[in-house]
Order: sequence, then structure tokens, then C-alpha cells
Amino acid sequence: MNDPAIDTAALPQDGLEHRLHPLSWLFVLLAHLWQFIPALVLLLFAGRGDRNDLYGLIAVIVLVVLSLAQYFTYRYRLRSDAIVVRSGWLHRSVREIPYARIHNVNLHQSLLHRLVGVAEVRLESAGGIKPEAQMRVLRLDQAEALEALVRQRGHAAGGDAPQADALEAPPLLAMSNGEVLRLGLISNRGMLVVAAAAGALAQAGDNVFGMLVERWGKAVFGWFTGFAGEHAHDSPVAIGLAVASMVVVALVLVRLLSVLLAFLQYHGFTLREDDARIRVERGLLARYRSSAKRRRIQSWSLHEGVLHRWFKRRSLRVQTASGQRGEGAQRSLKELAPIATPAECDALIRHFLPEAGWDALAWQPLHRHAWWRIAVPGLLLVLVGTAALAWHVGATGLLALALLPLQLWRAHRIADACGHACNDRLVAWRTGWLSKRWSFAEIGKIQAVRLAQSPLDRRLGMASLLLDTAGASAFGAPLYLRQLPADVARDLSARLVAQLARRRV
Amino acid sequence: MSDSPDAHAPDPAIDWHAPPARAVRLHATTNALWFAVIPLLAFAIPLFAADGEQRLRMLAWYVGVTVAAAFAGAYSGARLRHQRWRLDAAGLWLRQGRLWWRETHVPNSRVQHVDLKHGPLERRFGLATLVVHTAAVHLSGITVRGLDEADAEQLRGTLAKQLDDAGDAL
Repeated sequence: MNDPAIDTAALPQDGLEHRLHPLSWLFVLLAHLWQFIPALVLLLFAGRGDRNDLYGLIAVIVLVVLSLAQYFTYRYRLRSDAIVVRSGWLHRSVREIPYARIHNVNLHQSLLHRLVGVAEVRLESAGGIKPEAQMRVLRLDQAEALEALVRQRGHAAGGDAPQADALEAPPLLAMSNGEVLRLGLISNRGMLVVAAAAGALAQAGDNVFGMLVERWGKAVFGWFTGFAGEHAHDSPVAIGLAVASMVVVALVLVRLLSVLLAFLQYHGFTLREDDARIRVERGLLARYRSSAKRRRIQSWSLHEGVLHRWFKRRSLRVQTASGQRGEGAQRSLKELAPIATPAECDALIRHFLPEAGWDALAWQPLHRHAWWRIAVPGLLLVLVGTAALAWHVGATGLLALALLPLQLWRAHRIADACGHACNDRLVAWRTGWLSKRWSFAEIGKIQAVRLAQSPLDRRLGMASLLLDTAGASAFGAPLYLRQLPADVARDLSARLVAQLARRRV
Repeated sequence: MSDSPDAHAPDPAIDWHAPPARAVRLHATTNALWFAVIPLLAFAIPLFAADGEQRLRMLAWYVGVTVAAAFAGAYSGARLRHQRWRLDAAGLWLRQGRLWWRETHVPNSRVQHVDLKHGPLERRFGLATLVVHTAAVHLSGITVRGLDEADAEQLRGTLAKQLDDAGDAL
């Protein structure tokens, strides 16, 4: 999908309505079937009668008819200011999507798409769970032309002139195979697959795990008894060795799986910028290509876990305003740098936020006693746990109290690692001790501010400040500044409010 | 509210508005009723199935739980009395709670749209609920309960008018 100067001539811009690619019904059908795969598998295992086959056939026929109907009723028209999509037969809809309102454009090519030379296009505007338009599928050159068209027209409406020859600028970041390998080793993608597989196996009902453990034990014991003698499998050494070796092999397998997944998803990752749009391409078999306007980025986060630190790498993610969930979330632009050296990450941030002064932020500490507040939940847990233990096993259970100093020490480390910073462009929050995270957003992107105090906070003279942006994760806002000194939190809130009132977006 | 941090007031001339007493009463009553309904539903079938002395004992339990739930509901509903709101040049401010104190601010330019809701009971007492929607994820619907109807109309009018001159906030 490398583009030598795409021109938009591949697209029919005669102001008339057009259908999608003639084969698109096939892909719609496949997408439908994909959703039914769990049901089909279940049918395959559970039902062994002939009638089930008949039902399956009927279902497939119905889906084929539906897919064909969708192909014949789905039309798009390219106007000078908007795309108009007309779809439906009984329930008709006409949707007009102005180019200027399209936040993200995602192109997706699975292996099959690539064989046929087509691509799936998703156009996303702000908010909403579903994309504004999902064009399944367009010829590849048309899809690329549509992407370019959105880029150009979106700009023409925005006011600033597009630079026509910026296309061939060198990528801002390109991941080599070594980097993809590191990403696989660092990320725990394999673990997700293993967890899903374990869940599926557990659902299957048979005691698969028990069998697995037994087989493994036998294999290892067999090998072990081979040179350690007949009665070795009674000794704790043998059992310990078997368990340890199984854990090691499992860990290695999970990492290998992670590396494999990383190659599938991130091979040939490139990050480019043209006409103020950020564009990411990646994927080994299925190719993903997503782009978003630079000014549509709502917030940023930089992450460095323990493994990242070993490899001296970090990852840089952004949140855009489109509220895609599930399948779509994976495809829209999220990662500017899945993995890169700290210097590269800083350079990217400097590139995209040139005036924000990211390097020169004056980090402010938390409240003096913040560590105490951070320790409270852990301390309570230890106390309750100790009480329960002492109740059951007697005075020896009180030994668990040794965890208290550990908790306090941990809270101290966390409190030291947290901090916030704010200049006149950017507000930032860093958190985490072992796994560090820096979250930041341009002040203009803040949508609402909440200052809060719990009774304990009040006693200790602290307050927390939630700076909410669009596109944040539903689990925990990135810019939730906790355990700040109350007066600092109030001043910061007042300052941000004043800036927000002044700035007209 | 004397112990809560009295935040930066950009324009002290504008007052914080407290909800009218009837709004607090209504809110406490409806909350109490809702809370009381839950044990009613939970106990209905066992109560129906039980007989004799067992039923009497269950009835006593049931009354106790319902009263306790109603009191809890009334208490939580009455927390509305700590709510204060104000609208100034910077935008909408909302303070809630006393022990768990929080102050939410939505700048005028970040308001996406405004809903004005009147339930049947609220209408009866001349009250309204205003929901200010933003593009944010966690603070997406800021709800001001127990507004006097006239206040609510005015608040909505002001916020909606400012919507027109603000641009695309994303």
C-alpha cells in the first residue's frame, strides 16, 4: 500500500451515485459468517443430526440474499463538500458526511482482500460506537483515492492550504523487525490469547487442564526417570522440577505467541504525516492503515513498564474522539509508537506538539502526606487479612503484619513517582512506580473539570482534580490528578478554567 | 459548606443557587419510595409461598427491611440540599455533596447540548432537571436536579445561546 502520488482520479466524481466493488457482497457475507462462527462450531459439535445441516444451509442462503441486497442498495455519491451514502431497501437511510467532520479514515485489507485487490474503508466522526460509514469493499486504488480526497477536502474546509508534495516525506517512525520482536517480547498479547483459549477449554467441560498436567508430568517424569532411577517420581525434587519446567515452557510459549502476534499486527509499521494528518500502516498478512487529523487528537499517553525499561523502550499512544468499541477500536489510530526509544518518543511529541514545551515541564510533587493516603487501601487490606488469618490459624497469623512496612514503603515509592505539570499549552500527569505512565493533553482539549475532596482528603488537606477529555478510556480517566495539596488543586483548576473560558477552541 | 474549599470565584457577584426546599422534599420522598420498592419485589414471591407462623416472621422482617431501605433512600435523596449551581461568564458550576464534596465545571464552549427533563411529579411541583452534555467520557452528562422551572428555562436558554457561537470543541 505504498503510494506513489495518489491522485483522486480513480474515484468517480461525476456527482452521480455509485455502487461498491462488485464483489463486495462476498465480503459482507464473510463478515456475517465470521460472526456466526461460534454458533457454527457449536452446531458442528453439539448437533449431529441431518436437520441441523439443513438449518445451516438455510441460514447461509438467507445471509447470501441479505448480502446481495446490501450490495444492490448501498450507493455512495461524492459531492464537493460531503459524501452521501444511501442504503437500505425497506428501511432506507441517507447519510451525509461532510469531509471536514471526518476525524479518522481507516483502511483495512485482510489476506483475502489483498488477493482480490480491494480494501474496506471506515469513516469515523467524533463520538458514536459505530463508524459513520463502512464501505465494504472498494477497489484498492479507489479506497486510497477516497482517503486522499477526505484529506484534501477536509482541509479545504478547514482553511489552510494542503501541501501537495508532502506525500513522500520520510516516515516519522518505521519499525524494523528487531523492534517488532522487542514489542512481542514486551507485550503480553500472547497471554490474552492463552486466557481466551483457557476460557474456551474450560467451557468445553472436559477436564482438559487435568489431562494436560498429567501428560506433561508423565512425559517429564519418563525422561527424568530415564537417568535418575526408578523411584525418582516420589521425590519432591522430581515434582518440583516437573512443575518448574512446565511453567518455564508455558512462559516461553506465551512469549513466542506474543512475538508471532506482534509480527502479524505490526510488521512494517510506519508512521507518516502529510497535510496535518497522521497516518499509520501496519500488518503482515492483513494490512491496516488508519489516519487521523493531528488536531483531532484529544490526549496522549506514554507508557514504560518493567519490561519496557529492560529493553530501554517506551510506547506512545493517543486518544482520538471517535468512540469506537470492539472491532473498530483495534483499527482506528491509537498507537503512534507501539515501541520506541525514549528519545524517539520525545522527538515525536516535540514534532506533533512543537510549542507545548514537553521537555521543559516543571513537574510538581504530590501533597507531602500523599503516600499515607495511597497506603490506606493496602493497609486496610493487610489488617483485614491478618485478622482473618489470626482467626483461623491463631497467633502465627499475626506474622502477616510484616506486610505493613512493605505497604508503606510501596506507597512512598508510588507517591514519589507521581506528579503533575502544567504550562500554558499542556497539562500532564505522571503516575506509577514500576510501570510508569505519563498522560497529557493540550489544555484546549479539556472538556470538563471536577475538583473533589473525600472526608479523608479534607483531613489531610488534599484534593483531586479530574480533567476529562473526549475519547478517554471508560476505565479510569488518564488525567485524574490525585492527592494534590488542596490549594494547588484549586489554583490549577482556576487557572485551567480561566484559560478554557478565554480560548475559543 | 463552611469547611469546603471556597473555590476561586471569577465573579463573586453571582450567587450560588440552592435547590428549593420542595425539590429536596420531593427528591427524598421519591428516592425513599424507590428504595422501598426493591425489598417489595425481592420478598414478594417468598412471602406468597410461605405460610402460617413463617409468614408472620417474614412479614416482620419485610416491614423492617422496607422501612430501613426507605430511610436510606430518604437520606440519600435529601443530600440534594447540598447541591449548589451557578452560571457565569466561564460556564456552568455545580457543587454536590458535603462529606464527599465535588465541584464540577463545564466551560460554555464545551457544552454539546442541553436536555431539560420534567418528570410527571416534577411538573406537578414546578420543578425540572437539566442535563448538560459534553464530549468528555466521564463527565459527559452533568445533571442539575431540582431546578425551579423558571430557573431551568433560563439556564437552558443561556447555555443554548452560547452553543451557537462556540465552534467544534473536538
